[in-house]
Amino acid sequence: MSDLLIFAVAFAVLAALTLIRLAKGPTAADRMVAGDAADTLICVALVLFSLFSGRGIYLDIALVAALFGVIDTMLVGRYLEKEGGKEQ
Amino acid sequence: MTALRIVIDVLIAISAIFALAGTIGVLKMPDAFSRMQASTCIPTLGTICALLGALLYAIFFKNGDAGSAVKIAVICLLILVTNPIGSHILAKGAYKAGIRPEKKMETDDLGRDLYD
Amino acid sequence: MRKTTFPAILATFVLCFAFWVLLTWSFTMQELIAGGVVSLAVALFSARFFIHEKAFWFANPAKFFSGLFYWLCIFPIELVKANLNMAKICFTGCKKINPGIVKVPVDLQSEYGQAALANSITLTPGTITMETAEEDGQNYFYIHWIDVTAPSGKEAGDAIKGTLEKGLRRVWK
Repeated sequence: MSDLLIFAVAFAVLAALTLIRLAKGPTAADRMVAGDAADTLICVALVLFSLFSGRGIYLDIALVAALFGVIDTMLVGRYLEKEGGKEQ
Repeated sequence: MTALRIVIDVLIAISAIFALAGTIGVLKMPDAFSRMQASTCIPTLGTICALLGALLYAIFFKNGDAGSAVKIAVICLLILVTNPIGSHILAKGAYKAGIRPEKKMETDDLGRDLYD
Repeated sequence: MRKTTFPAILATFVLCFAFWVLLTWSFTMQELIAGGVVSLAVALFSARFFIHEKAFWFANPAKFFSGLFYWLCIFPIELVKANLNMAKICFTGCKKINPGIVKVPVDLQSEYGQAALANSITLTPGTITMETAEEDGQNYFYIHWIDVTAPSGKEAGDAIKGTLEKGLRRVWK
């Protein structure tokens, strides 16, 4: 039973490691890539933790994270495409 | 039932290995586009295998809890469908905003067609 | 602005309603009726933005089964191969890479086929579709490739998407 918890913690640690890139990435695209990866990893960790603890509310949170995780990437991408080149 | 537990653990361990590879790639690759390429490991095999194991667990060890099994399948499908869209919008936006790798790319057809 | 057709509205409605049922997963009458009304409104407004061709292509069994074969057999094998390759690059220090952007001709004409091919290419680690273009009736993709081993054009196209495109041509022309 506790192996699911171990794997959930492992995925959460990996998500925390990608935050290093989010903190020091030189450009906006680097930060956004790290944020997207962290979002996906946290989604998997939530699914595993929900199965470990037996509470369904974490599954709903993972579903919403998977559903809206792409919107911020698209937003930053469109902003960079239209406005990002102007200030240089 | 013990054999099924072992299969589930092996599936999740495989996906943890690929997620570790993607994380190392995001941390150590030299430029933004290569980081995007490495991070594609995370939503493909890094996620599919773990969610497959979770799906097997929800079907066989939760006494037929159909709701959570369907939700896990929907999560897997959503990640697979939406991730490439965000990825290629971000790549295009980063290129058009003037983000280039430090070491110059040898073949750059998009830059040739757009700016020359 | 293109005109909306009835099959497009019907297909969008079925998609929205199936998604509603999957999300709520309760079958009381009130929730089904509420979902139906909302899906119908969404379908009426948004069908013309995303279905421009034949909506029910999967009613043809040959196309349906070759599409199923593509998504369940051809694509996962390519995905696993590319994933192993990328994991090897990452674990051995991220040094031996040679990134570049190549321009590749695409033989598919239909919009569904091009969208499926572009998403498949982006989903395999190592290649990202960045831009599409059309010149003289021939479609081109600009693909960022982590390890450029073939010159731009037909050879790079075969190396990146040879098997994928062959599988997709059985479904969409």
